[in-house]
Amino acid sequence: MPDISLEKVLFSYPGGVEVYPEPGLTLALESGVTALVGENGAGKTTLTKLLIGLLRPRSGDINVAGLDVSKTTVAAMAKTVGYTFQNPDDQLFERTVKAEVTFGPRVLKRPPADVERGVAAAIKACGLAGKEDVHPHDLGLSERKWVAIASALASEPSVVVLDEPTLGQDYPSRQRLRELVMRLGSEGKIVLVVTHDMDFVGEACPTTVVLSHGAVRYAGPTSNAFGDRALLKEAGIEPPHVTELAQAIGLRQCVNEAEFLATWRR
Amino acid sequence: MAGGLSLYQEGASLLHRAHPLTKGVFTLSVIALAFIVPSLYWILAIALILLILVIVAGVLRRLIAVALALLLPIAVLLLAVQGFANPANHTVLFAIGPVVYYTEGLYIAAIAALRITCLVVATFLFSFTTRPADITEALMQRGLSPAMGYVVQSALQIIPQTLDMAGRIQDAQRSRGLETEGSLPKRARAYLPLMLPLVLSSLVATQERAMALEVRGFGLPVKRVRRYEFADSAVQRVTRWALALAVPAAIVARLLGWK
Amino acid sequence: MSEPAVVFEDVGYAYEEAPHEAVSDINLRIEAGEWVGVTGPTNAGKSTLCLLAMGLAPHFFGGKLRGKVTVLGTESRAIKVIERSTDVGLLFQNPFTQISGARERVHEEVAFGPECHGVAPAEIEARVGEAMDLVGISALAARHPLDLSGGQLQRLALASLLAMRPKVLLLDEPTSQLDPAGTAAIFEVLSGLHQSGITIVMVEHRLETLCELCPRIVAMVTGRILADGAPQEVFNREVVQERVGLPVYTRLARSAALPAPRPVRLSESAKAFRTPIA
Repeated sequence: MPDISLEKVLFSYPGGVEVYPEPGLTLALESGVTALVGENGAGKTTLTKLLIGLLRPRSGDINVAGLDVSKTTVAAMAKTVGYTFQNPDDQLFERTVKAEVTFGPRVLKRPPADVERGVAAAIKACGLAGKEDVHPHDLGLSERKWVAIASALASEPSVVVLDEPTLGQDYPSRQRLRELVMRLGSEGKIVLVVTHDMDFVGEACPTTVVLSHGAVRYAGPTSNAFGDRALLKEAGIEPPHVTELAQAIGLRQCVNEAEFLATWRR
Repeated sequence: MAGGLSLYQEGASLLHRAHPLTKGVFTLSVIALAFIVPSLYWILAIALILLILVIVAGVLRRLIAVALALLLPIAVLLLAVQGFANPANHTVLFAIGPVVYYTEGLYIAAIAALRITCLVVATFLFSFTTRPADITEALMQRGLSPAMGYVVQSALQIIPQTLDMAGRIQDAQRSRGLETEGSLPKRARAYLPLMLPLVLSSLVATQERAMALEVRGFGLPVKRVRRYEFADSAVQRVTRWALALAVPAAIVARLLGWK
Repeated sequence: MSEPAVVFEDVGYAYEEAPHEAVSDINLRIEAGEWVGVTGPTNAGKSTLCLLAMGLAPHFFGGKLRGKVTVLGTESRAIKVIERSTDVGLLFQNPFTQISGARERVHEEVAFGPECHGVAPAEIEARVGEAMDLVGISALAARHPLDLSGGQLQRLALASLLAMRPKVLLLDEPTSQLDPAGTAAIFEVLSGLHQSGITIVMVEHRLETLCELCPRIVAMVTGRILADGAPQEVFNREVVQERVGLPVYTRLARSAALPAPRPVRLSESAKAFRTPIA
């Protein structure tokens, strides 16, 4: 039983063309970290918005962790899905980081003990410890992004969706993101990362879905995702830098640094 | 789809091709005249001209949608209130039991409703056939300062921009569990989380906009280049002057006792 | 030798009401025609460096400027930003910032800058067409700028800048919203501009990209320049490794204990990993 499933989903924006060609998008995701990659306009963000009900399909079924999305309001979906948008400024409004992070679990009416635990854990995991009382708008963009991520995690959702989390993040921040994502995955959560950053995909996401022109072109282990050059080109993807290097020196395909070093040493 | 918020509809009709100033002068004078001319027949004549132009412009269907949504309720309300309750009422038109409907009220309501119809139709006709950018460009070619031109242009863009931003903010907050629909108390609670990011983002956007203008050289003392020429003609120039003069002429005529 | 494009002399700058300087002790000389990559962690002062070169700091932001920023021979205090805009172009980190907010069509948005500069209409048309073509948005010419996606908006912002024909380009993460193919296409455009003699200062997080493209890299940390030089030189310095991070290739070489100087680009890296360790 997959944890997220989309069955023949069709969707078009008002006056726009079909995002997913006939017979519609069919995809199943299981727990763990999955990268969703593909060219600009491939339908990645549309897919994530369908998962939480911000967009409604014209036809097809979407199930997320046992919930029929079509029968659930967005606000109710938020109990199950923690969603982080690209632009944190679309959501930040509280006077302190802590209040901001607490907002989600509070409006979802979670028990006070759970709120406290969730908020504390989220703040710590996002490197915001010591900044609880800072005004979010006094932080830089990169840290505001972390506040938004913490806000999504504070409700302890079983599904986490991150839209371009590495954008504009420096190396230490990317490392933290990698650790966070991998930990969430090992806790059995479903983590979906929309990204163009293939190095990050190789390092942090065991599963990859390649979406191109609205169709799923690959869904499976990341280690095999970068084999088909023609597909990569079509989907606007460049393989991770390690993969390029491995290929250049005739090693078998590697997608992350640890793998590369292990293979090379042999 | 923020751009879809502009009412303009692509087309190649006579009205689409007319000089923006001609359309602007026409719209303003027709509205003024509809409120100045004294009798129902004159207003009907104006309404008829507008109707023909609507058909010529090929926007009849869209206009009917507007009329049904906006004008019909107003007309019904006016006809009911005036016909039953205008103080000038004394000629009975018909009676339903004890409730009497009067001719005077009907006449007054019809005039008022037709005037409002002319106002709405003329305005929509203008919006359907004229790009907002064209009217500011035309005004700038007639000496409106670029700074004022920018103010007008950006003001026209503020609504779609703000709606765009508001939509994103609403999406973000709903995704955190905020109910934005439903009972009044629920919606009241959603007010701050929706408004504060909007206000802050708008402030930031305004500041950024000011920066964008600087780095793009807005305000350099250069001779303004015409972005494009609007086809004008002697007929259009005469029409503009005639329409513009018709308004004071009608006012004078009314003052002299035109009934 | 022609005059340098950008010169920072003992520059320090604090934003208004900020307790500390955002950048300090900046000494930097960029010759005309150079392509310099600027990198460093969050709050390193990279964007501030661009704002200073453009003159927005201090003209727009106020604040306190020490030292001298000279671009194309004119000190920033002596020239308004709008005058600067004829020679120097700044691409903001957030492409939305670049948009004039007054135009309803993509092609009209691209024309905004040249119009402000008083360029002749026929010339504007040619430049707009060329700029849209270069960044690959010709098909979007009639769309409303607000209807564009982040990636498309970023291309539009760049086209709007290129149509102004600046001699010095300041680019703050110019491809952050683009997919890898789009990124590659834009970098190709930039390579072309570099070859035609335009000076480019580019802020970028992706170190591998920087090393492939830029002959010179400036690494910044907390408002100061930590290292300035050729990529291999910069990323072989211990202090840069610790505080800025390394390109994947360099980090791999370090983990594999390959001898210094360690490679920063794919080709060198492949060579280094193929060579058996003596």
